[in-house]
Amino acid sequence: MTTRDIVLVALFAAIIVVLGLLPPITLGFIPVPITAQSLGVMLAGCILGAKRGAGAVLLVLLLVAIGLPVLSGGRGGLAIFASPTGGYLVGWVFGAFVCGLIAERFAREDKGELTQFLAFLAASIVGGIAVVYLFGIPWLVYMSGKAFFETALASLVFVPGDLIKAFVAMLAGRAVLAGYPLLPQRA
Amino acid sequence: MLNGLDIEGTSPLHRMPVRGKLIVLFVAAIVLFLTSDLRFLVPALVLAATIYLSTGIGLREAARRTRFVLFTVLLVAAANYVFHSLHEALAVFSRLSTLVLLAAAVTATTGISTFMDEITRLLTPLERFGFVRAADVSLAVGLVIRFVPEIFARYQDIADAHRARGLPVRPLSTLTPLIILTLKDADTIAMAIDARGFRRH
Repeated sequence: MTTRDIVLVALFAAIIVVLGLLPPITLGFIPVPITAQSLGVMLAGCILGAKRGAGAVLLVLLLVAIGLPVLSGGRGGLAIFASPTGGYLVGWVFGAFVCGLIAERFAREDKGELTQFLAFLAASIVGGIAVVYLFGIPWLVYMSGKAFFETALASLVFVPGDLIKAFVAMLAGRAVLAGYPLLPQRA
Repeated sequence: MLNGLDIEGTSPLHRMPVRGKLIVLFVAAIVLFLTSDLRFLVPALVLAATIYLSTGIGLREAARRTRFVLFTVLLVAAANYVFHSLHEALAVFSRLSTLVLLAAAVTATTGISTFMDEITRLLTPLERFGFVRAADVSLAVGLVIRFVPEIFARYQDIADAHRARGLPVRPLSTLTPLIILTLKDADTIAMAIDARGFRRH
């Protein structure tokens, strides 16, 4: 990684931290408030690509682990990883990586606008939702003891909010690609 | 703006080396999942709460920090009670709360820079394989702590600019300028770092 890549990773990690400082949005038709922080995971992959995107998320998790309150609601510290929902955080790293892989492969600058939009949407849904849940749900199941099926089912209430975030990530990812493309020059 | 969660003090846990604390936490995480016996789990929970409070954190601050995680633990325990048995619910609650309180105790007694030094030491063996440079990780951590207040101020400026023009502050219309403006600084910052020779190897 060049110095510029390290700076990009650090700046994006700082953006993810700032997204956690913004007040959560509540929408009438979804039972849970939406925090912008997991949107940052999709954006990291869509904007910086696989390696640097995963690096930015990993850096945020490192800050959490060493005891900085950088997650939404001022949460931080090792207790977050000991919680039943810790798997989602670990999934963030792999989610950003997969999101970046798809975005790098399909959202090329020489492609049409519609192709780019669809590529970013697919990247955000596969990387930012599917992969994150792939890590989050087994962890939750393991921690939940015997009521694993019920708790895993309950975590699906977050899916509608995540789909909205994927949509926002698609629009923002495409806007940044048009305004200041970083995706083509990979780390 | 970004202050660590460590508490000043001289308790035994404060004086214990970071690596020792992490190993104990890791062993606890494994042992707690091996048993569902309440005769072991309930005393473990009492012990963990005692350890956490012995760091001198104070009841109110201790509760404020762990309430969110303990709430998710409570939800999982409630699901066990509703769909299975009271015994199972108590076992899950004690097991997970013990782990959460122990982890919170490690965080409360370990300073950011001490922890970072330990991470740097743990990363050094990886350097040999060329995965990552430990010095780069410290540099990146420093950059994040330095730039969070600046990026937050920039977000406020963008939100103000929306309000001045009578536009609603929407995530989409604030995010794109925030990201582009922030990442455009990367070249200047990288040049400043290289000019000062922070990464000569």
